[in-house]
Amino acid sequence: MTVTSNYLSGSEKAHADHHEEEHDPRELLMYDPKPRGEMNDMVMESMYHTTWRFWAVLGILIVVVATCFVYAWGYMISEGLGVAGVMRPAYWGVFLVNTVFWIGISHAGTFISAILRVFKAEFRRPFTRAAELMTTFGLIQAGASIFMHLGRVWLAYWLFPIPNERMLWPNFHSPLMWDLLAITTYVLGSTMYLFLPLIPDLAMARDRSTGWRKTLYKVTALGFRGTEGEWRHLTTAMNFFAFAIIPVMFSVHTIVSWDFAMAMRPGWSSSVFGPYFVLGALHSGMGAVAVVLFIMRATMKHMDYFIRKEHFDALGKLMLIVSMAYAYFFFNDYIVQWYGGDLATDNLLHWLEEGPMAWMFFQMVFFNIVLPWATLWSSKVRQTPWLLAIIGLLINIGMYWERYLIVPVMLTINRMPFTWKLYTPGIEIYLTIGTFATFAVFYMIASRLIPLIPVWEVQEGQMTHTLRKVGKTEVPTVSEFE
Amino acid sequence: MSDTTLLAVFEDIDPAANAIEKLHEMGVPNENINVISGVPIMHKMLGRPHPKTNVSRLSMGGAIAGFIFGVFLNFGTPNLYTVSVGGQYITPIPPGLIIVFEMTMLFALLATFLGVFLDSYFPNYRPLEYVTEVSDGKIAVFFKCPEGDQKKITDALSKLGAESIKPAEAQQL
Amino acid sequence: MISVDLNAVGMKGAIAEAAEGKWGMVIDRDICTGCQACVAACAMENNLSFVGEEDAGYGRTQHWIRIERLWEGEYPEVKIDGSFQPMLCQQCGHAPCEPVCPVFATPHSEAEQLNLQVYNRCVGTRYCGNNCPYQVRSFNWRDYHTLPERGNDVNGKMVFSLHNQFNPDVTVRRRGVMEKCTFCIQRIHKAQDKAKSEGREVEDGEFTTACAQACPANAITFGRLDHHESLVSQLAKQERGVKHLEDLNTLPRVTYLKEG
Repeated sequence: MTVTSNYLSGSEKAHADHHEEEHDPRELLMYDPKPRGEMNDMVMESMYHTTWRFWAVLGILIVVVATCFVYAWGYMISEGLGVAGVMRPAYWGVFLVNTVFWIGISHAGTFISAILRVFKAEFRRPFTRAAELMTTFGLIQAGASIFMHLGRVWLAYWLFPIPNERMLWPNFHSPLMWDLLAITTYVLGSTMYLFLPLIPDLAMARDRSTGWRKTLYKVTALGFRGTEGEWRHLTTAMNFFAFAIIPVMFSVHTIVSWDFAMAMRPGWSSSVFGPYFVLGALHSGMGAVAVVLFIMRATMKHMDYFIRKEHFDALGKLMLIVSMAYAYFFFNDYIVQWYGGDLATDNLLHWLEEGPMAWMFFQMVFFNIVLPWATLWSSKVRQTPWLLAIIGLLINIGMYWERYLIVPVMLTINRMPFTWKLYTPGIEIYLTIGTFATFAVFYMIASRLIPLIPVWEVQEGQMTHTLRKVGKTEVPTVSEFE
Repeated sequence: MSDTTLLAVFEDIDPAANAIEKLHEMGVPNENINVISGVPIMHKMLGRPHPKTNVSRLSMGGAIAGFIFGVFLNFGTPNLYTVSVGGQYITPIPPGLIIVFEMTMLFALLATFLGVFLDSYFPNYRPLEYVTEVSDGKIAVFFKCPEGDQKKITDALSKLGAESIKPAEAQQL
Repeated sequence: MISVDLNAVGMKGAIAEAAEGKWGMVIDRDICTGCQACVAACAMENNLSFVGEEDAGYGRTQHWIRIERLWEGEYPEVKIDGSFQPMLCQQCGHAPCEPVCPVFATPHSEAEQLNLQVYNRCVGTRYCGNNCPYQVRSFNWRDYHTLPERGNDVNGKMVFSLHNQFNPDVTVRRRGVMEKCTFCIQRIHKAQDKAKSEGREVEDGEFTTACAQACPANAITFGRLDHHESLVSQLAKQERGVKHLEDLNTLPRVTYLKEG
């Protein structure tokens, strides 16, 4: 065989392969438009449509919330933190693990709706709202977990900068104070950012509903009609939010990491913790979005039109990139600690590798780095929703372990060997289940009350996407309306 | 006020744009026309003037207010009641930057949100002129029709593709 | 050339001076027998909680001073590492626990050069406990003083006989607040009140802390560090004197005299 023929045959083969995998652009949501009225009806029906299974799951979850969240927390408040597993040296336990975890989940929403909006990534359109809802509800769980962790939660208002008769103000030197202000900013900012693009959809729902729903949407749509002025104010504000909430999002998880990094402790005192935590947050957030989108698509009516393989594919790519970035920061953090040779840090690393929690350390490495790297390069895996959801779930388990290792397990090893002691969670287990159940209940109720698909954004996207004829084929073309 | 307000509903942007042009030709000024739509449509597409908004100015105002508030929290309050902690200065600059940043962003975001409410007169539960087809993606053009021209304009707009033209009535949304 | 006082504008212009401190302690590890008398005396003086066997075993002891026994190897091949090490709040001049409290519950006393704990200001974030490199802060995990099994039901009213031994000069802490060694600040105040009424300053050796008072071997010496002829400052200047975790720049006020 000559070199030339070899070259040719290779090229033909590649061409044939390419042809097999080639997708019709009409499979993409943006090139498969439906009339707006039809999309509205689909979204409305997805809200109205409930099965007995929905109510059964909701009922069970509400029972779980009542016992594992409300009752367990009340019991802990009346008995003291003794019923939890916190002790010396692990003064902080699963409550802060949950806080970090839920704030991490909440980063997905902002990332998808703000960063992807700023960079005009079109695949974001149908699921920005689903992700933003995760932000708001995740932050509620994070806030609850912080308050659970307080020894005297009934005095939590002492943390707020409120003028009082003793002229005593909170301590702005404290990383917890920065945390409080940052999380407050983030909660308010992300809730407003959820609400602004929701107004036109609420107006849509108002126009086609009756009874108590009509009243609800009438009040929440605020009298929005869609005049040129209203759209202009709204889009200006949304643009500002998209840009402004990104630094807020970065600052929030950086400050959460500073709660640890500012302390003089082996393992914690690391200057790479800020970006490491931000990437970790995105890692678990992207995984959680995959899980939520899978459940939405599997259980809600008409969602298979709006959420397609392309979206899982794009999400899978994001997960892979984030996993790589995460690995980079993870390696940075550990190699510096490993090389340093400080006695306390050496003890800690040895403990992580060989101690009773070593299984957790290696599972974390596997779920967070090995698993996504090994699977997500394949477009077949990325485009299989249930598979992507399972990978997302495992990444979340890995990320939960990561936070668990950072908070109570790293607290075990300090500079006073006499106090070393491994932490075992107590009532925290119930309260953790409680926060997950509360999140699910909020999400389930919201999925029947507010349009989960931003219909106007989808329509706007479909208007800007066209197929342009070039030569003998049609190529996807996007124009910018804004 | 002898003029009646008419409402013409269009399926697409092109006929709506043509209709607006026709209205201009027939002597209806831009101030007397208003367009409502289910998606944001760029003013240029309809040949309409750029709508003014105060939202960005309000964001800026909020940011300045937040900056001042952050400075007060970090550099003001410790001086009201001095408590010294572990070898740190009473009003340290590096942690102060965090407080100032967060407060600036918080107030800017709040002001932006409020700006939408102020500029759009939200919440507004009074009866308004509206057709529900708008949320189905149609475009409605309101205009103050000069007395006597009503028939002429209606015919012209129908020819340009208006689905319906009727006098606008304020209704409870 | 204009010079700006960097400290005044809140920058890290100058490294904090190693202030001498006012009250100080010296612990001689050479003569400490590990008898735990200081632990018991401290518990009596400062109304410490008895947490019970289970909580104590789990790492929830409420001792403000503890005797650390350090050993090497696995049982039964155990080699005792030197002597006993009583560990208590080092009253750092540059305390890591202080700046991290969001509500100023653990401020620095400029007058006494002590590290204070304000119980009624504490909301229980426990950040101070994490950031204390000496791990000497203890948290009130429960209301140990009023656990039902500690009391007797007398005509429908719970009576706690252990409450009779409370020191009236010291607050009883409720659940959810952090606490730690205060250098027996109630004794400091008593001595200061007496000295003030007599128109003089507190002398060294006029009073001592409960742990120093109880130590049968006289391993603990407490007194005024700013009086250079006092016993405590003389001992602290000995060659054997070391500060614990000195490289963390916490400026501890407790000096340990190493074995030798």
